[in-house]
Amino acid sequence: MKLRFQITKDKEIRFISHLEYVRTIGRAIRRAKLPAAYSQGFNPHMKYSLASALGVGVVSYAEFVELELTEPVYPLDAAEALKRALPRGIRVLAVDAVDNSAPALMSAAGGAEYRVTLPWTGDIVPAVEAFNRTEAIYFEKQAPKAKEKVKRIDVKFYIPRIDAVQINNATQLHFHCRITHNGSMKAVDLLNTLNEQYGLQLPVEKADIERLDLYRVDNQGNMWPMLDTLYKQG
Amino acid sequence: MNKELAIDMLAAVKKPARYTGGEFGSVFKEEAEVRIALAFPDVYEVGMSYLGFKILYHLVNKMEGIAAERVYAPWIDMEQLMRERNIVLTTLETKKALSECDFVGFTLQYELSYTNILNMLDLGGVSVLTKERWEEEPFVVVGGPCVFNPEPLADIFDFAILGEGEEALPEVLVCYRDWKRAGKPGGRQGFLHRVVWIPGVYVPSFYDVTYNDDNTVQAVTPNTPDAPTTVTKRVVADLNTVDFPTAPVVPFGEIVHDRIMLEMFRGCSRGCRFCHAGMVYRPVRERRPEVLRELAHKQVDNTGYEEISLVSLSTADYSCLGPFLDDMITDFKDKKVSVSLPSLRIDAFSVDVAKKVQAVRKSGLTFAPEAGSQRMRDVINKGVTEEDLLHAVSAAFANGWKKVKLYFMIGLPGETDEDVLAIAQLARKVQWKFKEITGKGGCQVTISASSFVPKPYTAFQWAPQDTLEEIRRKQGLLIEATRVKNITFQYHDGKTSIMEGIFARGDRRLGKALYLAWQRGQRFDGWADVFDFDRWQQALQDCGIDPDFYNHRVRGENEVFPWEHLQPAVNRAFLANEYKKAKQGMLTPDCRQGRCNGCGVCQRLGVPVMDWSGRAYDASKEPGFVSLANKLAVGDNHSYSDATQRSGMRSQGGDAE
Repeated sequence: MKLRFQITKDKEIRFISHLEYVRTIGRAIRRAKLPAAYSQGFNPHMKYSLASALGVGVVSYAEFVELELTEPVYPLDAAEALKRALPRGIRVLAVDAVDNSAPALMSAAGGAEYRVTLPWTGDIVPAVEAFNRTEAIYFEKQAPKAKEKVKRIDVKFYIPRIDAVQINNATQLHFHCRITHNGSMKAVDLLNTLNEQYGLQLPVEKADIERLDLYRVDNQGNMWPMLDTLYKQG
Repeated sequence: MNKELAIDMLAAVKKPARYTGGEFGSVFKEEAEVRIALAFPDVYEVGMSYLGFKILYHLVNKMEGIAAERVYAPWIDMEQLMRERNIVLTTLETKKALSECDFVGFTLQYELSYTNILNMLDLGGVSVLTKERWEEEPFVVVGGPCVFNPEPLADIFDFAILGEGEEALPEVLVCYRDWKRAGKPGGRQGFLHRVVWIPGVYVPSFYDVTYNDDNTVQAVTPNTPDAPTTVTKRVVADLNTVDFPTAPVVPFGEIVHDRIMLEMFRGCSRGCRFCHAGMVYRPVRERRPEVLRELAHKQVDNTGYEEISLVSLSTADYSCLGPFLDDMITDFKDKKVSVSLPSLRIDAFSVDVAKKVQAVRKSGLTFAPEAGSQRMRDVINKGVTEEDLLHAVSAAFANGWKKVKLYFMIGLPGETDEDVLAIAQLARKVQWKFKEITGKGGCQVTISASSFVPKPYTAFQWAPQDTLEEIRRKQGLLIEATRVKNITFQYHDGKTSIMEGIFARGDRRLGKALYLAWQRGQRFDGWADVFDFDRWQQALQDCGIDPDFYNHRVRGENEVFPWEHLQPAVNRAFLANEYKKAKQGMLTPDCRQGRCNGCGVCQRLGVPVMDWSGRAYDASKEPGFVSLANKLAVGDNHSYSDATQRSGMRSQGGDAE
């Protein structure tokens, strides 16, 4: 039996790294005393994984953990136990149980929904309209390790459309970003693209980025939730 | 002042998890009558690994209405942003500025962290100098090993607690609460005059220091009848009866010691003559194995950690380590929790222990012969022979280890070039042993040689420290002598050791230079990439201080030291005799083997050695032995410190006279 949890990475812990987040969850699972399965061998590892990696600084309400168990448990009890074992900043929102043979959650995600709030009051409407009309926009990104290697990505392939609103002294962007087996793109790179293409001066380093959801996409392009939710709160 | 660390600040600094807080196990008390910030003067990863604060955090937070929170030194990148934006340093829990706390409690672990104390106070909105602190500011309290000579910081802290804090700190906090409830009679001074009556509390402003013409200390005298002539440290007589954390804070990020720390015992009576910890943490007191196992189970359940480190000054000396380890390994096998030891003794037993606990990784074994030649090992009373070491490494090699790391010191009193070169020879002998046992070459030996710093309350407190030139010359000798295949030589720049030496045996007059150096930008002096020796030298010079006076001078046999009013309860006569024996290369055996050496600690504190071997010398059987409970029963610093001094005179028998 495998358990799947939807958990959060709230504002207060947004700056812990993905690795730190993963390790924190591992320790919480141990504290919750869930009957976790371990790999065989000299240095056994707990069999759990996250559906997708989140950039440092990004808040998320849709992180998914999959945990393999050695014996069945009642999912709601497991969710309750895990909830008590998690630190501030990580909440359990939903739980689902699947068969061990079910495909890994890791490869399931097809898209993510984001909200970006910027302390910026310029007029973003023309840029957003132009972006939404354009066929393709290319963004060049340096590969993190190989210096000479530049990755050229079509932003519009990943993010077909943006919605923008002005709230008080802030500008808020709302969009969906595609996730493929070859990867996805970072929300922050969308902001860089807007600055580059339309001469905006969005304060990228101050962007408050939130991942609102992560979901599956079928062949027809329909969106499906990651979990067949058994339990949901808040 | 602003408290919030904005998104772009956290995005710009290294390791932002350092500033996150809210980790599992952290305690939030929004409302508290008394709040203490446990302040560690180094970065989060270092400070979070400190067991002392884990203990105090747990203990204080169990008290109703009293909160303990944590604060660490922001790294230079974060400090710069905080200063640019006028952001105040806060605790990690309820984000209180240090200035909003009732106490800021620093631990003095290391002399080179002193500038960070000044810096953290300043960043936290607290006046750096005691005399500039106004009524409503927090009290700055210090503790930890360097508290036995905190004199260079006498202008900075309001009071110190000497020794173990489990009993003394709650007493101080309750004293403060009562004073606060009473409407803070007498203001700051009023509180200091109250708290100084608690045994183990030292208020530096209650003492005047006079100096001789040759700059040495003439006397340290109380300037108020409330302050006792000397202050004796506090200890817990029986560790089995005090609280130990069962649910410590579990960090998000990786810290230096990212595992459960189970404290097996306190104190070490091996009597190595260079060792500060070996003197100031006496007497040896072991926890019972069943108590330890219970603590281990609770900690594993509450933290989710997968490793338990059995910590103490010399864990392999725990009197029933063998059976205890077997029990622990059996207990935790199914929970996938491993057990580790931070250090090994140089004997085959230790290799056996390592074999048990290090079943997974055969990365390398570390031993600390401390000196290369037998002559020097006798001088420092290490009590280990070359044969012992070769035996130990033979056992290691026979069990599959291929790498050995050896710790040494250079610059020990009376050291010759032959002694230094013996370090390299010893490493070669270890390699030959490998060849002899395995028939193969390729044994990796790493030699780490640190520069010796004489510390107060050790036999070497009278000894001069090597000069920078001498340290470098000796390092050069070893660099040459270790140009051998598969031997790696590690050493540190001697400059940090020189500064450490100045402050270790410094006095109040260094306070000016400390303040000046901090103002000119010194911080994180223990970090080689930040440490600026020239700036320090300049600051000392500008204050008219001759640094050589503190570290390169031979101190007179009868010289009054700046720290002698602060007592870890080790007799001066014992230390003097140990220094004499060191010069003659004579050994002093461990009192756990049965004979009292007259260090005076058990008698003065009224606490006998507690170990389960049954061999250790038991001072409580002496006629006239007064127990700690009885010494404390009178209830104030004067009578406690007097009682410990009187017992000290009685116990100066043995070798000391």
